[in-house]
Amino acid sequence: MTEAATEQSIAPVGDVPSASAGRSEWSAAWVELRRKPLFWVSAVLIVIFVAMAVAPQLFTHTDPRYANLADAFKKPSTHGPLFGMDRQGRSVYARTIYGARASLSVGLLATVATTILGMIMGLLAGFFGGWVDAILQRIGEIFFTIPLLLGGILFLYKFPTSVDAPLIVQVLKIVFVLALLGWPNIARLMRGAVLQVKPSDYVQAAKALGAKPGRIIFSHILPNALAPVIVVATINLGVYIAAEATLSFLGIGLQDPAISWGSDISDASGLGEITAAPHMLLFPSLFLSLTVLAFILLGDAVRDAFDPKLR
Amino acid sequence: MRGHTRAVAAVAGVGVAAVLLAACGGGGSTSGSKSNASSEISIGACTVQSPLLPGDTNEVCGGTVLNNTTAKLVRYNPDTSQPENDIAQSITTKDNQHFDVKIKPTYKFSDGTSVKASNFVDAWNWAADCKNGQANSYFYTPIKGYADLQTDGGACKTAPKTDKMSGLKVISDTEFTITTTEKVSNLPVRLGYVAFAPLPDSFFKSAANQKAQEKIPVGAGPFKVVSNNTTDIVLQKNPYYAGPYKPHVDKVDFRVYKDPSAAFNDVLANNLDFTGTMDPIPNDQLINNQWQKELAGRWGQKGSSVFGYITFSPIDKQLTGASGLKLREAISMSINRPLIIKQVFANSYSPASGWVSPVVEGYKAGACGENCTYNPAKAKQLFKESNGYKGTLTLTYNADGGHKAWCEAVASEVSQNLGIKVVAKPLPDFKTLLDSLDKKEISGMFRNGWVMDYPSIEDYLAPIYGTGADSNYAGYSNKAFDKQLQVAASADTGAPADAAYQKAEQILGKDFPTAPLWFEKTNYAWSNNVTDIKVDAFQQLDLSSIQLKKS
Repeated sequence: MTEAATEQSIAPVGDVPSASAGRSEWSAAWVELRRKPLFWVSAVLIVIFVAMAVAPQLFTHTDPRYANLADAFKKPSTHGPLFGMDRQGRSVYARTIYGARASLSVGLLATVATTILGMIMGLLAGFFGGWVDAILQRIGEIFFTIPLLLGGILFLYKFPTSVDAPLIVQVLKIVFVLALLGWPNIARLMRGAVLQVKPSDYVQAAKALGAKPGRIIFSHILPNALAPVIVVATINLGVYIAAEATLSFLGIGLQDPAISWGSDISDASGLGEITAAPHMLLFPSLFLSLTVLAFILLGDAVRDAFDPKLR
Repeated sequence: MRGHTRAVAAVAGVGVAAVLLAACGGGGSTSGSKSNASSEISIGACTVQSPLLPGDTNEVCGGTVLNNTTAKLVRYNPDTSQPENDIAQSITTKDNQHFDVKIKPTYKFSDGTSVKASNFVDAWNWAADCKNGQANSYFYTPIKGYADLQTDGGACKTAPKTDKMSGLKVISDTEFTITTTEKVSNLPVRLGYVAFAPLPDSFFKSAANQKAQEKIPVGAGPFKVVSNNTTDIVLQKNPYYAGPYKPHVDKVDFRVYKDPSAAFNDVLANNLDFTGTMDPIPNDQLINNQWQKELAGRWGQKGSSVFGYITFSPIDKQLTGASGLKLREAISMSINRPLIIKQVFANSYSPASGWVSPVVEGYKAGACGENCTYNPAKAKQLFKESNGYKGTLTLTYNADGGHKAWCEAVASEVSQNLGIKVVAKPLPDFKTLLDSLDKKEISGMFRNGWVMDYPSIEDYLAPIYGTGADSNYAGYSNKAFDKQLQVAASADTGAPADAAYQKAEQILGKDFPTAPLWFEKTNYAWSNNVTDIKVDAFQQLDLSSIQLKKS
């Protein structure tokens, strides 16, 4: 998925014979987006999940950690535990709601981190070229060759988390790994975009007028090269949420007492558990899939909006 | 330590498997083929960790193989666990300190040489010598002269001056004597442990032979190893075997599984003939006893000697000593043992009411008293009277042994009943847990398990709670307790010794160094091809009784 995202064409910026002439590319994209039902579906889903992450109390009053072992494996029912009980007798519904926080924060933070890191690297490489470009490109390739999951497993095994660490420390550790291994993707994209924008007349004009590199980058190159990065970053968000779930599933991502969809899915996926209590597996999986789907749909919609060929 | 290692390897050895997930079990051919020429069965096994020498194997994977390739002075009856003479003709003593051992002349090693008294004495001397670095050397501790074979406080930097224990003397080819430093009334019972097996003359002839026998051991047991590699170990009938426990099958294939679920599925499909001792029945199959329904008449349960308990870390000052007593009791009282057994272990375990397993003679229920009975109100009250607990209380377990479910349940109960923060904390594997324990790095509480080395009440007390004992992970030390152990060791076997050990157990009840949880059962399963399945309290399949179904 990540690969596919990298390959898609870079939205040209300067010479767009756009139908919506007279508007900036950004506002044109927004008009385009508003018309897409897919965008609204994903946006509504995302709003709901973000609400869950920010204020889970709005959705449930049950303590997700409260266990009543006597109720273990209770089946879902409309006048009882809505999603059933897990093996420890905890409410699957409450745990699914509370699990959103870990997944979303990993997804969002990892996206922000990779985007910022990747953008800086890509900008520097593309703008300065020459040996700076060569060195940054090679460094990027080194990280590019390490598979995301393999690197994550190695790192998290090497630096285990202490139990007293708050959720945010655990999250940041995973974010760090994902960012470390994920930035070259964005950097390549950014470099490509910068190279495309750099020869433009307005950049040359600014240069001729004696503008400093900082000014050229921030007021001319960056705004025009940002669009493809935002598109790919949105799609990657879903990928990172899935990566966190995978790491937690393997028992090395977020750990008890943190609640995450990945670790709950892991706990529920023994053959015996699937037979005895399929609801334990179903609900966290469903929410995880919906979240990933929502972000990928959003990314798709944004890409379409920014790509004039698809307009 | 040794017993412990085995112990938990038995329970936890499940282990490494889960992490690696490599389903390399399963082999190709269907086992237990019904060819008449040679009867062959296959058994789910696990990866052997140390050389297959009696003095070095202290975990269940290698131990099971060795158990069948060696014969010892005594053998534990698979039904009653009582020691019966095997190679020994007689073991006599007048004072519980000088033992006279006469052996039967008929036994032969699998290389055809006879078993002589010197084979025992040489083997024990060799394994006790610290320069040979044998893991089981601890079992020879009671023998006089053992200390002369240890140098530098166990570090063994310099070679010992002698290579023989003065307490062992060969009288003739069929007789030798054992002298112990103190009175040890249950010594004859201990002699059935694998560390006390004899080694053949060829073992001592050259280093090359020793190396070879680490892989292909030569013993006097009913079987011999014919091939040994990472995927399976094949045993064949020992043609020279002279004992009374002749097997009905010609060949036994110990197939190594990395994942107990794979072994279980193979038994289900009749591709494997037995699982449950080395590869346990997977935890999730126990839910609602699904495994029993699926196997329909091909499963069994046997009370095992495995005793599960929680140890309070000696480095956690909030928990230890007299000042932490009320807190320890409060924690123990807030654990609902029967409920966890029902919900996690499908009622296959039984709650513990003391520190000694019911499988040994001298077991007396109730040493733990009300501390082992679920009583949230009393627990809360004791907790209020105690100094409380600051910070997060951890319950550390090894993630590779199917302990997650019950450890999380215990953590929730203690947390909810006492109102403190309790977290079940996994360490990746059993080895890491043991290493951290040895380095005294684990604070809070941790899980422990104990499978007996020999059927004696002493084996549940001395090695775990004696001052400075090898497996004393609680760091427990009480002069009265140590004294009582000495009194018990020199008392006559039977009722007098048992009563003395029970007194020692009652001291544990007052000091409460560990919280007893439950006595475990071995769950096992077999294929349609075999019959006469018998599993003993040591969690061992009896290979002398299993046989192919007559078609």
